[in-house]
Amino acid sequence: MTIVLGFEGSANKIGVGIVQDGKVLSNPRRTYITPPGQGFLPGDTARHHRSCILDVLKEALEEANIQPKEIDCVAYTKGPGMGAPLLSVAIVARTVAQLWKKPLLGVNHCIGHIEMGRLITGALNPTVLYVSGGNTQVIAYSERRYRIFGETIDIAVGNCLDRFARVLKISNDPSPGYNIEQMAKKGKKFVELPYTVKGMDVSFSGILSYIEDVTHKMLSSGDCTPEDLCFSLQETLFAMLVEITERAMAHCGSQEVLIVGGVGCNIRLQEMMATMCKERSAKLFATDETFCIDNGAMIAQAGWEMFRSGQATALQDSWITQRYRTDEVEVTWRD
Amino acid sequence: MAAEDALQFQLHVPFPCARDAQIAHNSLSPDAEPRKGGVSKTLSVTDNVLHVHWRADEARILRVSVSSFLEHLSLVVQTMDRFGPALPDPS
Repeated sequence: MTIVLGFEGSANKIGVGIVQDGKVLSNPRRTYITPPGQGFLPGDTARHHRSCILDVLKEALEEANIQPKEIDCVAYTKGPGMGAPLLSVAIVARTVAQLWKKPLLGVNHCIGHIEMGRLITGALNPTVLYVSGGNTQVIAYSERRYRIFGETIDIAVGNCLDRFARVLKISNDPSPGYNIEQMAKKGKKFVELPYTVKGMDVSFSGILSYIEDVTHKMLSSGDCTPEDLCFSLQETLFAMLVEITERAMAHCGSQEVLIVGGVGCNIRLQEMMATMCKERSAKLFATDETFCIDNGAMIAQAGWEMFRSGQATALQDSWITQRYRTDEVEVTWRD
Repeated sequence: MAAEDALQFQLHVPFPCARDAQIAHNSLSPDAEPRKGGVSKTLSVTDNVLHVHWRADEARILRVSVSSFLEHLSLVVQTMDRFGPALPDPS
């Protein structure tokens, strides 16, 4: 029996989760929500995390009904992500690991998403589409690495959606992407936008500039509604993601797709991916917002796998890093 | 800038016991200051006191580093208050 505590705070969510042998015992989370039209800045986000991380930790222990002495390992996000929030969370993880005399484990955030997705859905060896506010990658496992087959060459798909939400002053509560998704359901007219797939990679910054440029013109002239723009942006971005995922599947001969990351709980993206999977007789795996969106349990779960395979992070090596690629991690827990 | 021209700043933080000072030291020392940031800090512990020593090219940069350190120190102390004292060694 192995119990791992996981801390996540690389972006605007702060979460603490406890996982015991594939079972999530608790997974509380808080989100730093900014006013419409504004993004979250590193310093403010770190301050938010510092103000509530200890309450969230207490909640996680109480809900799981676990005493600190029962924990086997303390996992935290080493990176990638925003420096200031990562650091604040790592400092608490280091402190409790020492107070409770437990080994510490620095986890790659992307690996956390993949391992949580595999645990929840039971997907064995899927092609992974990892889509969030900070990352956009198509990943497949081979020879002890999660290899990146395709990725964004500029901004993440979630960042493109978030920044478009700021143009329209859409609420950030519960998340800008969720509110765009709801508005997109009412869209009727498709506005053609640039479509930028470059081999296995995608680019979103040009699409964002284009739509930022035309939004006010088209809305004031009555050419289309905000709902039409939300719809058109989603259809364009998601079509690009489905295209590169399909190409990676063809390359690997894979019959499974797993969608992870915050954008992964978008039902329209799941529908479009399901259509592609059906045509190829492949199977789609996705999770809801509980596990798609950043959470502590995903770090605990990846930490559990790493700890069981004999890994630990010495305190002096527990520095955080804003850049940490998925394929830098040697996967010691899979064949 | 020559080393003797650098701004320097000393901080001494007493803890209730040597063990706590060592925990704070270990929690706060792994992350280096940015390499080209023009500021460096060294942490050490003697008995129950955590010592921090800064060298910086500019007061502006020193202020940012010291103020961020104090925020993190306060977070460590709050964590100890709520989740300490340290558990005995596992037998």
